[in-house]
Amino acid sequence: MTDDETQKPLTELLAPASIRLDAVAADRDDAIRQAGAALIEAGAVEPSYVDAMLERENSVSTYVGEGVAIPHGTLAGKDAVTDDAIVVLRFPAGVDWDGNDVRVAVGIAAKGNGHIALLSQLATVLLDPDKAAALRDATEPDRVYELLAADDEDA
Amino acid sequence: MPERTVTVASSVGLHARPASLFSQAAAKAGVPVTLTSAAGKSVNAASILGVLSLGVGHGEQVTLSSDAEGADAALDELVALLETDLDKEE
Repeated sequence: MTDDETQKPLTELLAPASIRLDAVAADRDDAIRQAGAALIEAGAVEPSYVDAMLERENSVSTYVGEGVAIPHGTLAGKDAVTDDAIVVLRFPAGVDWDGNDVRVAVGIAAKGNGHIALLSQLATVLLDPDKAAALRDATEPDRVYELLAADDEDA
Repeated sequence: MPERTVTVASSVGLHARPASLFSQAAAKAGVPVTLTSAAGKSVNAASILGVLSLGVGHGEQVTLSSDAEGADAALDELVALLETDLDKEE
């Protein structure tokens, strides 16, 4: 971990309204715009952040395996971030993400170095194949909270 | 066992973009490589989730190791990558 000891648990960065379990996207960019729109609605970013998210994705895919992508902005896009937050969009029908079948997109907004601890927490959850599968199959927001909270005890 | 300790140069640490480029390179290295954080946690260097889970920040030290034959060249290449600011191209 870095010197950023004040990192909040993932569950505190995720508002109930930021969980969309029945999302449908035409393609990757549509899914990223939806994740961006959810971050805007959550009050975490300014609209320009969505362009930064698309730019980042075109630079290097944010697909991380296990049917999960973690779209977020470029370093330059950090100016558009007003608050740390995550959003969870589940695409039951899948999204073609540069040839990968994405079922869950976790949109991320983080100020300063907050992203390091945030991504570490998220990756630790997804490294457990059972938890990743449960996230892909989640139909209740409570289940998403439960899964994201699961690693807090050994963090 | 060949190993190298290196300081992460990327200004934002080993997060999404640098972590992606690093784990892709590790996957192409042809030998299994282990990445260990300063805190002592080890992961498969070719796993992006593994690399992200370490939460390595700028200026932190990590250790690369591999017990495969001929791993030295692969480790040298990966060390060179970590010593580069992988985020500067954006």
